[in-house]
Amino acid sequence: MTVKQFFKSQAFKCIIVLLVIALIAGGLLAILNDVLYVTDEERTMRAIEKVYGKEMQYEELSYSAEELTNDYGTISKVYLLENGNYMVQSTGGGGYKGGTITVWTVLAYKDGAFTGIEKVVLESYEKQTLMSKLTYEVYSAHNDEITGDVYFTTGSDGIKVVISGATYSTNALNNAVDCALYFARNTLSAKEA
Amino acid sequence: MTGKRFKTIAFDGLLKNNPTLRLVLGTCPTLALSTAAFNGIGMGLAVTFILICSNVLISLLRKTIPNAVRIPAFVIIIATFVTIVRMVLDKFIPSLYDSMGVYLPLIVVNCIILGRAESFASKNKVLDSACDGLFTGLGFTCALTLIGAVREILGAGAIFGYTLWDFKIEFFTSSAGAFFVYGLAIAIFNAIYSKVENVRRSKTFDLRIMPKPDVSAPDNLDPEESEKAQASTTADVAAKEVK
Repeated sequence: MTVKQFFKSQAFKCIIVLLVIALIAGGLLAILNDVLYVTDEERTMRAIEKVYGKEMQYEELSYSAEELTNDYGTISKVYLLENGNYMVQSTGGGGYKGGTITVWTVLAYKDGAFTGIEKVVLESYEKQTLMSKLTYEVYSAHNDEITGDVYFTTGSDGIKVVISGATYSTNALNNAVDCALYFARNTLSAKEA
Repeated sequence: MTGKRFKTIAFDGLLKNNPTLRLVLGTCPTLALSTAAFNGIGMGLAVTFILICSNVLISLLRKTIPNAVRIPAFVIIIATFVTIVRMVLDKFIPSLYDSMGVYLPLIVVNCIILGRAESFASKNKVLDSACDGLFTGLGFTCALTLIGAVREILGAGAIFGYTLWDFKIEFFTSSAGAFFVYGLAIAIFNAIYSKVENVRRSKTFDLRIMPKPDVSAPDNLDPEESEKAQASTTADVAAKEVK
């Protein structure tokens, strides 16, 4: 096939049509992405609203990479809320096929002392296991047991929490909450003291 | 588009070819998102919007897109609209965006949308395609909302988030409950549809075989002549049928 024949062929027409459609679609999406972009501040305020049902003032805190990483997972954001509690976004591993779960955990503090977990909410259902049975009280119901060096688990070597019936998903969820708990015990409490 | 054509498209989308209850398409979001009536409406309206937009655009481009690359072209068009819906929901209705989760981007591969694009929009005019998208989407929305309402009432004792009573059967919020309600909805819908269709068919059949009174025949016709006339008419009909 010569170059001239190629330019006149059906294959060339197919390539051009697909290319034009993809370019127009891409351009349109780029413009809309710019217009409809949701900022980090907006997302944080949404998370606070999801937890408390209203907007609340907050201050973003920064910590070193070592302080934000532990055996249970990784902390990505830490906020000090106007009511004195800390809201922490943590990601726990150990889910099905190495899956992770990201949650917002509200760590309750009274007079500078850690008093327990107030609420735990999923950051988003997107890209993580659907766990509609996670309610605010699942973890805070065990606040009396959160003493010493005890963490949440699906086994018997800690505070047993099983939610969805799927052990792997609960493992990742427990790890995410334990990650926040570890951070509260070892970093935030030291700072508050 | 004529009124009759509009009625046919509407009847097809809503009842005769209802994507959820008759064709059993889009089962994945139906089962996953019908835990509450509001989720059903949200998903249904998102799919309806995408169906209308993609059908219109595909119908407009039906003579431009070569047959060999029609499927990838359709998928690009559908994916674009799905992404737009995602952006809009994330910006303005984040609660619905969160509750729809991974099923929102999965609309791209929803067989209802690709099916209508392939079987209808790529062969029909713009207005017809838009109507088809609208009514197919509404059929999907109604089915999802109905199933969601039943599951929400029985499984959570609520409707559209408003608590009705404390009585609840957790089974209906589970995956097994979703299959149970979905199966039941299909059975009931098809039973009613078949019954109505049978009645309609029998009425049409009765009208066809009922002999028309011969108004031209004189009242004082002799009974013998009358029999002969009837016999000749029957013979004429039989001859025509043989031909």
